[in-house]
Amino acid sequence: MLLAKHGRSAKILAGGTDLLADLKFATQVPDLVIDISRARDLSGIAVTDGGLRIGALVTHSELIASPLIRDMFPALVDAAHSIGAVQTRNVGTLGGNLMTCLPSMDSGPTLLALDARVTAASASGRREFALADLFVGPRKTSLGADELLLDIVIPTQNFGKPAGFQKFGLRKGQALALANAAAIFWMDQSTGRFVEPRIALGAVAPTVIRAPRAEAYLRGRSVTLEAMVEAGRIAATEAKPISDFRASAGYRCDLIAVLVKRALQDALALAQAKQPEAAA
Amino acid sequence: MIDVMIIVNGETRCASVAPETTLLALLRDHFGLTGTKIGCDVGDCGACTVIVDDQPVDACLMLAAQADGRRVLTIEGVASKDKLHPLQKAFEESGALQCGFCGPGIILSAKALLDQNPAPTRHEIRDALAGNLCRCTGYAKIVDAVSEVARVYRSEQSRG
Repeated sequence: MLLAKHGRSAKILAGGTDLLADLKFATQVPDLVIDISRARDLSGIAVTDGGLRIGALVTHSELIASPLIRDMFPALVDAAHSIGAVQTRNVGTLGGNLMTCLPSMDSGPTLLALDARVTAASASGRREFALADLFVGPRKTSLGADELLLDIVIPTQNFGKPAGFQKFGLRKGQALALANAAAIFWMDQSTGRFVEPRIALGAVAPTVIRAPRAEAYLRGRSVTLEAMVEAGRIAATEAKPISDFRASAGYRCDLIAVLVKRALQDALALAQAKQPEAAA
Repeated sequence: MIDVMIIVNGETRCASVAPETTLLALLRDHFGLTGTKIGCDVGDCGACTVIVDDQPVDACLMLAAQADGRRVLTIEGVASKDKLHPLQKAFEESGALQCGFCGPGIILSAKALLDQNPAPTRHEIRDALAGNLCRCTGYAKIVDAVSEVARVYRSEQSRG
C-alpha cells in the first residue's frame, strides 16, 4: 500500500477543498498526494447490520440530498448545509471534514452526539472505534500514518433519535463556526423526561467535545424550556474556547449557552413531530 | 507530469501537466480559456466557478488530475454561437454586473441551479450564489436577474 510506504510524507486527497487550500500556503509540500476521490468503496450511504453507514467520501451535497439522512437525521443535513458554499459542498467530503480535524468542523458535533463509530484500514488490517477517539487535537487525529478512514457508522439503537444542530458564524455562507453545538435525546413518552441526552460542542476546545455535566443535568429531568436553558448554561462552563481574531472566549461561551438551548429545542420539535406517528 | 483528458465545453482536450496543476490553471494557461477568473485562489470567492459533471465547483480547489475524464463547462461554453444564454441576457438587461469580474462564476453557479431547479425561490437563489462574492453591486440585481430567468423558464414550461 502506498501509505505504508510513504507514511507522513504522503497526503490523502479526498475532495481536496481543505488540502489544496492548505498546500497553497504550505512551506513543506508532501512527496506524494494520493487522490482517493474516485474510490467507489468509500462512497454511498446505506443501512447495514451495524447501523447507518456513510462512506468517508460522501460529499456534503450528497448528505444534503440523501432521502435516508433527511428522514433519519435532519440535523446532519443542517450541519452539512452550513459548510462552505455549494462549490465546496459538491467536492468536500464528510471523511475529509473529520480528518482535517479543525475544532470548528461542522460534521463533528452531531455525529459525536449520535455515538458514531468509524472504521480505519491499513495494509495490515481494519479497526473500528468510537468517533470520539478519532479526535486528538487541532488538525490531529489518532489514525496512524499508514491508515485511511473508510466510513462512519451511526449505530442502529440511535436510529430516529431526535437531534438538533446549531451553528453561529459571522456570515450565512463561507464562514467557519465561531461555535456550534448538537443536542440529542430520547423523550420518554409517558413521563416526558430526557433519556440518554447527548450534547456536543464545536470550536470551543482543541477538538469537538461532549458536555458531560450538561448531559448529567438533563438525564431523567422533565423536558422543559427551563431545563434546556440551564443545560446551555452548564455546557458553557464546560467549553474551553480560545480568543482569536474571530471571537473572544467569553463571546464563544455565551454563544454555546444559546446554541445548546436552541439545538435542544430543535430536537424537541422533532420528538414532538414523531409522536403522533408512534401513537398510530 | 500527468496526462489529463477533459471534455471542455463539449470538446475533448488533452494536456500534460505538473501534478500540482489546478483545473483553473489547466483551463487558463494550457487551454487559453481565461473567462474563468482567478480571485482568491483558495475557494472563498467563487470567481473560478466552473461546472464539472453538472455540479458547480471552484476550479482553484480541484486538481487538473481530479477532472480527468470529466465534462467541464466554462463561461466560454455557455452562449450558443450567435446567441447569449438567457442568464447572460438577463444580467445585461438588468445591469447585474459592474466590473464583471465575478460574472462568469455567478452565471455558472446560477446555470447549475436552474438546470437542477427551474423554479427556485429567492432564498434558494441566494443560497446557490453564497459561494460567489461580488464586491461592486450588492447582489440585489444579480438575484433579480436570476429570478427573472427562472420566471421566464416557468412560464415557458406552463405553456408546454
